[in-house]
Amino acid sequence: MRVALAISSFVALIIHGIVFYDQFFHQWEDHQTAYFEQARGLATKDAERAALEGRRPRIEQIIVTQFGEARVDRCTTCHIAIDDPRFKAHAEPLRTHPNSEALGDTFVNGRWERRHKFSDFGCTVCHDGQGRGLETFYAHGEDHFWPEPLLGYTTQETWRAEFKPKLLGKEFMQANCAQCHTEENFKSTPLVSRGRQLFFEKNCYGCHRIEGMSTGTLGPDLTEVGKKFKLDYLWESIVEPRANSAVSSMPKFNLSDEDVKSLVVFLKSRRGMNFAETSLERYRARIRESKVEPATQPTTEVAGVSAAARGERLINERACAACHKIGDRDGGIAPDLSFEGLLRDESWLMDHFRDPRSRVPDSIMPAFGFSDSEFLSMTQYLKSLTTPPPTATPAEAYKNLCARCHGEKGDGHGLIALYLDPYPRDLTKVAFMNSKPEERFIMSIKEGVPGTSMPAWGKVLNDAQIRDLLNYIWQTFVREPRRELKARNVPAHNPVAMSGESVARGERIYLQRCTGCHGRKADGKGPNSLDILPRPRNLRNRDFINSVSDRRLFDAIMYGVQGTAMPPWIDYGLSQNDVGDLVNYLRSLNQTN
Amino acid sequence: MSMTKKAIHKPTAAEDELTTRRRFLTWLSGVGLVGSAIISIFSNLIFIKPRATYGEPNRFPIGRPEEFPPGTRISIDDKRVCIVREGNRLAAISTTCTHLGCIVAASETGFACPCHGSRFDQDGNVTGGPAPKPLPWYQVNLAPNGELEVDKDTEVPPGTYITV
Repeated sequence: MRVALAISSFVALIIHGIVFYDQFFHQWEDHQTAYFEQARGLATKDAERAALEGRRPRIEQIIVTQFGEARVDRCTTCHIAIDDPRFKAHAEPLRTHPNSEALGDTFVNGRWERRHKFSDFGCTVCHDGQGRGLETFYAHGEDHFWPEPLLGYTTQETWRAEFKPKLLGKEFMQANCAQCHTEENFKSTPLVSRGRQLFFEKNCYGCHRIEGMSTGTLGPDLTEVGKKFKLDYLWESIVEPRANSAVSSMPKFNLSDEDVKSLVVFLKSRRGMNFAETSLERYRARIRESKVEPATQPTTEVAGVSAAARGERLINERACAACHKIGDRDGGIAPDLSFEGLLRDESWLMDHFRDPRSRVPDSIMPAFGFSDSEFLSMTQYLKSLTTPPPTATPAEAYKNLCARCHGEKGDGHGLIALYLDPYPRDLTKVAFMNSKPEERFIMSIKEGVPGTSMPAWGKVLNDAQIRDLLNYIWQTFVREPRRELKARNVPAHNPVAMSGESVARGERIYLQRCTGCHGRKADGKGPNSLDILPRPRNLRNRDFINSVSDRRLFDAIMYGVQGTAMPPWIDYGLSQNDVGDLVNYLRSLNQTN
Repeated sequence: MSMTKKAIHKPTAAEDELTTRRRFLTWLSGVGLVGSAIISIFSNLIFIKPRATYGEPNRFPIGRPEEFPPGTRISIDDKRVCIVREGNRLAAISTTCTHLGCIVAASETGFACPCHGSRFDQDGNVTGGPAPKPLPWYQVNLAPNGELEVDKDTEVPPGTYITV
């Protein structure tokens, strides 16, 4: 008992002592004491000695109120010699902050005048870090989960080791210069300028939105990316797009380290609100956004180079193959362009370049803001790609023309199917394949399906080849003999005349019966649509709806679409007149203005 | 109980050793408890006074001596000091009125409180009004970077100037 008491009380004393020492004896006091001693030794004038007189170690802090939330900077507690020119050659933390022209400092009368005074700006405005911390670990933010570690000097334990050497360096600080110096090509932030240039050069803006700069919707919004993510995450996201999201469709750009660094610095500088911005300026930028013209490269016509050659260069430079397949390069996201000259005509290509959704309404391809002359060159180049792929046998034809979308197994899950809307048809769905006349499949292959990515293969294959291909599909994927189609009572033309009343009736029926799947906007995105494969048709796909005959619409609505979730509405009490009203309503939605 | 029994008997060598051990344990407990108590008291006493608050720092730079030409009296309102320079001599006088803490304005004759009418002469001595005490003078240092630094934590006797 006595032994226990004695030991525990002594242990208590020791713990008390340790806590006391830990709480009241600090490393920063040692730093400050060392500074005072050395400064006394370096002092040459009485004034200097007098200034040191009576100074004792204490917590130094700068309160910065101008930049966003008030910042408490206690960095000078350790870095106490930061503004003492006599400590230039000392080791950190007792070292003078360097002066340089890049920081805006000026050299007058034989001494440096700081542009950014520490009493006004503090330290964390530029360096990040946890301004309140008084120990290296806390102050520099060496913790993966802390929001703002020291920019470009600290690497984390959990950071990927191979990135470590790339993430150290004072160049990364430029990201914070750009918090206030937002002007393009600000001379002290070359990396930000280069990053911005790359953002447009590599077409990042096509997919990513940055408020006031670009309007892409395909990728994540990068307006505040610098606030959310640290350097390591940004670096990783650029060099390995699938590191964080396995289904990311961002291409790998294979940039040089220097380019990645520029992009990282540029992205790190995107923190939404800039220190230098007022809310009015921000509002103005938002309004301007709707009219903003994406920066385009100056169009320099190279003498002696044909438009097609220039187009080829442009298509290579703009990394079109990052998504598309061209020759042996394949991005695995978008359709094959290797023989585009056979499939599309010039006006289609030009329209599609200017606004991809004008030709394929649900296309995910961004509308890149290149100049018309550049689009023309690229069109000329694509038009010149007229070498058909080998299609000697139907199997070859399927492999070369169809498999990329419809899949090796014909189940519609091809390499790029995920990125297509509508999704490619599942050719193994017997019920569907057997419910449509053969002519319809022939026509789909031959003429393509307007408003979708299905091209008109009749420009590559002759009629006999198309028939063989269809037979091949039947034998390989459907694997059932063709069934005789039941005769259906479907009018060839809509018997209900187009009129305001008919459209209104059609709309009422549509709202009652169709919105669950096709959605209130008729865009195919109704509440049930997520559970259904194939997805409900986008009924506002103008090109598609306008290409479909009344007969086919009547057939689909009255008798349903086998192999899909579309039921035969004739069973649910829709009369032929009701369907006529519906068809009129759908047609009225898709009328060209 | 065992204590009394042992006290009666003449201690043997083994018991002697036991006493020594017991005394040592008592000493250990005592030092432990008393030491802990003393450290606690010290910790608490030190802890009472915060080492840092979130107020504006009391020692702040005000600029280079050249920014205050000889003969000027420049009030820095947000820092609540008036920098006085006469020839090569320079000093900082508080502009916080000693009456109710209003900011006094520099006037022809010195300083005047706009709210309650206190008046001070050029050196901050009270010449009229309700102010009970003269305006304090603060220490001014020349920082190593060549800037002047006012230390509002350190008051100096009126008339103390530094030479720049």
